[in-house]
Order: sequence, then C-alpha cells, then structure tokens
Amino acid sequence: MTLVIDQRPRSNGLTATALLAPATIFVAICLLAPLAILFRYSLNDFVAAKKMMVEAVTVANYIRFFTDPYYTAILWTTVRISITVTAVCLVLGFPLAYVVARTQSRFKHLLIILIVLPLFVGNAVRAAGWMTVFGSKGFLNATLMGLGLIDKPLEIMFTEKAVVIGIIAVNLPFMVLSLQSVIEGIDRAVEEAAFSLGAPPLTMFRRVLWPLALPGILSGTILTFILAMNAYATPFLLGGPLFKMMAPLVYNQFTQQTNWPFGGAIAFILMAVTLTLTVAANLIFQRRSAR
Amino acid sequence: MIGAVVRRRAGRWALNGAAALALAYILLPLIFVVWLAFFRQEIPSFPPEGYSLKWFAAILDQRKFVDGFSLSFQVGVIATLAGLALGVPAALCLDRFNFRFRGPFSNLLLMPLVVPGVVLGTAMYVFHVEVENGLDVDVIGTFYALVCGHIVIIIPWVVRLVTASLAGLDRTTEEAAQNLGANRWITFWRVTLPAIRPGMVAGALFGFVASFGNLEMSLFLVGPGRTTLPIVILQYLEWKIDPTIAAVSVIQILLIGTVMLITDRYVKLARVV
Repeated sequence: MTLVIDQRPRSNGLTATALLAPATIFVAICLLAPLAILFRYSLNDFVAAKKMMVEAVTVANYIRFFTDPYYTAILWTTVRISITVTAVCLVLGFPLAYVVARTQSRFKHLLIILIVLPLFVGNAVRAAGWMTVFGSKGFLNATLMGLGLIDKPLEIMFTEKAVVIGIIAVNLPFMVLSLQSVIEGIDRAVEEAAFSLGAPPLTMFRRVLWPLALPGILSGTILTFILAMNAYATPFLLGGPLFKMMAPLVYNQFTQQTNWPFGGAIAFILMAVTLTLTVAANLIFQRRSAR
Repeated sequence: MIGAVVRRRAGRWALNGAAALALAYILLPLIFVVWLAFFRQEIPSFPPEGYSLKWFAAILDQRKFVDGFSLSFQVGVIATLAGLALGVPAALCLDRFNFRFRGPFSNLLLMPLVVPGVVLGTAMYVFHVEVENGLDVDVIGTFYALVCGHIVIIIPWVVRLVTASLAGLDRTTEEAAQNLGANRWITFWRVTLPAIRPGMVAGALFGFVASFGNLEMSLFLVGPGRTTLPIVILQYLEWKIDPTIAAVSVIQILLIGTVMLITDRYVKLARVV
C-alpha cells in the first residue's frame, strides 16, 4: 500500500494569510457580496404600476417564472439550443482536436493561435461576420441567387438557425482545446496496437480513443453547454429583438422593465438550471462509462 | 493488403478534411469581417463593387470608437496590474501551503470564470446601488467601479496560470539557494520569481484580453459617456452593419492577434486556455 503524502508544509499562518487575504477579501467584496444582495433582491416584491421594488420575503418571482408559459418557453429554447450546440461542437470538434493533437508540423502553435484568436476577439465582432454572410444581400444569398438556386433571399438572420450557427462557432474553440489537451496525453502506441491487432479505424475510435478521451469529452461538453446557456451577444445580435434566450432576458428585465427582483430571480434560475443539468449529465455519463 | 493501405489513406484524408472544415467554421466570421472592411460601397452586399481603405480613416472621425478603445485600454491595463498584485501572492500561497479550506479558497478565486457575465453584471450593479445609497458616495457608472469589476474577472486567469507554472517548478532549486545562504526574500527574487515569470506574463496577457473583450458584465458597469469598445461595437451593430464597424473589428483582431503571438512565446497556449 502506498501513501500519498502532501509535502506542502503546514501553513506558517501569518505568511499564508498575508499572501492570500487581499485577493480573497477583494473577490468576497466584489463578487460574493453582490451575489448575496442580488439573491436577496430576488425575494423582494415589485409593484409594476409604480415600477418600484418593495422589500419582502417571497418566492413569488420564482413561481411567476415557472408558471408563465412565456418564460418557461424561453428557458426551454435556451436549453434546447445549448444541447444542439454542444452535440454539434463535439462532432465537429473531435476531428480538428485529433489532428491538432497528433500533428508533427512546426506550425502547430500557429494552428492553435488560429483556434484561440476568435475566442478573444469578442462575440460582437464574430456576430458581425455572420451578419455579413446571412444578410438578405449577404454572401450566402448573393451566391445562391447568382447561381440561380433560389429566387428570393433565404431568411436566416433573426431566426433560431442564425443563433445556433453563431453560438456553435463561438463555442467550438473551447471544445477543440478541451479535447486536444486530453488526446495529446494518450499514447500514440495504444492506437497503433489496436490497428496492428486488426481493428478498423472506427472500432479503434470507439473502443480505444473515445474511452481514453472521456475526461476531455466531459469537460469540453460541460464548458460548451454552460457557455451556450449564458450566451448573450450572439442571440441579441443574430436573433433580433423578438428572439429570446435567458441571458438577454435577464438584461431586459433589469434595464427595460427595471424589475430587479424578477431579473434577479431569472439570473439565479439560469445558474441553478445550468448547474443541475451539468451535474445530472456528469452522473449519467459516469454511470455509463463505469458499466 | 493494398486495399487496407488505400482505405487508411482515404481515412486520413477524411479526417483532415473534417478538421479543415471545423477550422474554417471557426474562422469564417472573422474572414468576412476583414473582407467587409475593404469594401468600397457602404452596404454589405455581394459581390463588392470595389475595394477601398477609406473606412479605416473614417474610424478616427467617430469619437465613440476612439473613446471606447481608449477606455477599454486604460481599464484593461489598470485592472491587469491590480489583478497581478492580488493574484500572484494568492497563487503562491495556494501552491506552497497546506491549510484548511484550501480547496474552497481556490474555488472562490476561480469562481468569476464560471459565473455568467450577465449575472456578474447585474449582481455588481445592485451592489453598487446599495453602496451608493448606504455610504452616500458616487459608485454607479464610475471608472473605479468598472475597474473593480474587471479585476474580479482577471484574478482567476492570473491565479490559474501562475499556479500552473508553480506546479512545474522544482522545489529543490529553492532549497539549494537556501542551503547556500540565501534568505527567503533573496530566494524569492532570484529563484522563484524568474521561474514563474512566464506564468505571470501569460496570466497578465490573458487577463488583459479577457478584460478588453468583456461585454456582458461591462454593460451594467458603464456610465453615460463612458463606454468600452465592445459595447460601442454591440450598440452600433444593433443599428446597422457597415464597413466602418468592420474596420474597427479588424483593428481589434490585429491587436489581439499580436498579444496572442507575444503570449505564445512565453507559454504554450494550448496548455492554458
């Protein structure tokens, strides 16, 4: 039996406190306290006629959300889009992650920069790119009409399709990077062994690569799903004013309706639903792979 | 036998093809934005009537883009410096010492990465309202409130990257320095600091980029006449899309691309994102 001993020294109290306290206190004040206040607000009442918040302790805002079909439909749209996006990202992302992980090219780091760059350029800029492609005189419609395949422009902008396409592009890099880091850790020899024992590529993938890459698949899908649930700029710009997802709804309740209690409740519902679905998926996934 | 070789080669082509498709998908929106920035006509219709560079000059006539850029840059720089000052010691403590609640402390510092931007923004906004009412000082929409919000989202990047670089550090070098008579400060300055410098640089650059591009949280923290670049871009796009906004985007892409290339010299990007 081996014992793993944490070799870190027990804290020398004063030094540890001096090092850790500033950051902890800062985050506690600037993040935890605000979250606590937002939660408290979500239990308050709102007088719609006067557009005023009234102090109370009630779960009415949460009940209102789940009993009004208008809001549950928005939640359902958000969940549905997030699941679609995550599934597509996994299918599209795996081959790219595999190629990046296995390439011997000296341009590998440039390849990775190309994948990471869009992440940091910002969602609004990428939405602008899709607007150029999907607009009624945009690239796609101009090309299809030029080829005589359609007579009138396809309506993609301001539909769910545009939003899904946009969010997939936003989230794909996260999926690729999660998968790539895990695949890189899988020994090439394991794959070669499967091949030399006569396994066709698909069998090798199903029986060797997939199970070994499972941790990366799990972290990638969770990250992609969370990001899709929280998407703001893409649905706002590509979905148009009538299309609603959870994050734009929170913003709308706060700024347009000035209904802070209800906006706060939606914010916490969004976080709770995301967390619950993530944990549930995690459990199902682990039980499946344990079998 | 030949059949198997052909099939394997075909499989490789299919794999590379699928990978190229995914990469093209990721890059497609950026390619179109860059293309649009050079159109001669104002309406983004295809095929373009011709090409021109005039939109880049037009940016400078629109004060809001220049102001937005300058505010985003200032906030990014100040918040990154503060984030380093807070995050690096915290990462050192989390790596070096074993104490109760080490896990929860570490999770707390990384938490801003997982809380949705919109929730961060609304929570900070109501907090600012409470503080402003309670203490009777200006908070809402001030520069410092915006900077504080950005520090919160920079800290996790610094902590993550510095912790990662500490994990790869061989402790025996430090012990050797101390055996040779260096005190703790000298050991820190001459041994530990140089070793974690790549992590600090990477953490700072990532934190800066995350701050510079932040949209959702900042929406709630900006005040009248004080707007960051991503918000200016969002509000412009809500109204219309034209080559001017594309030219602004091109400049942002160039700036961030440069920062990425610099970062890549210090750390392997794939390890840290």
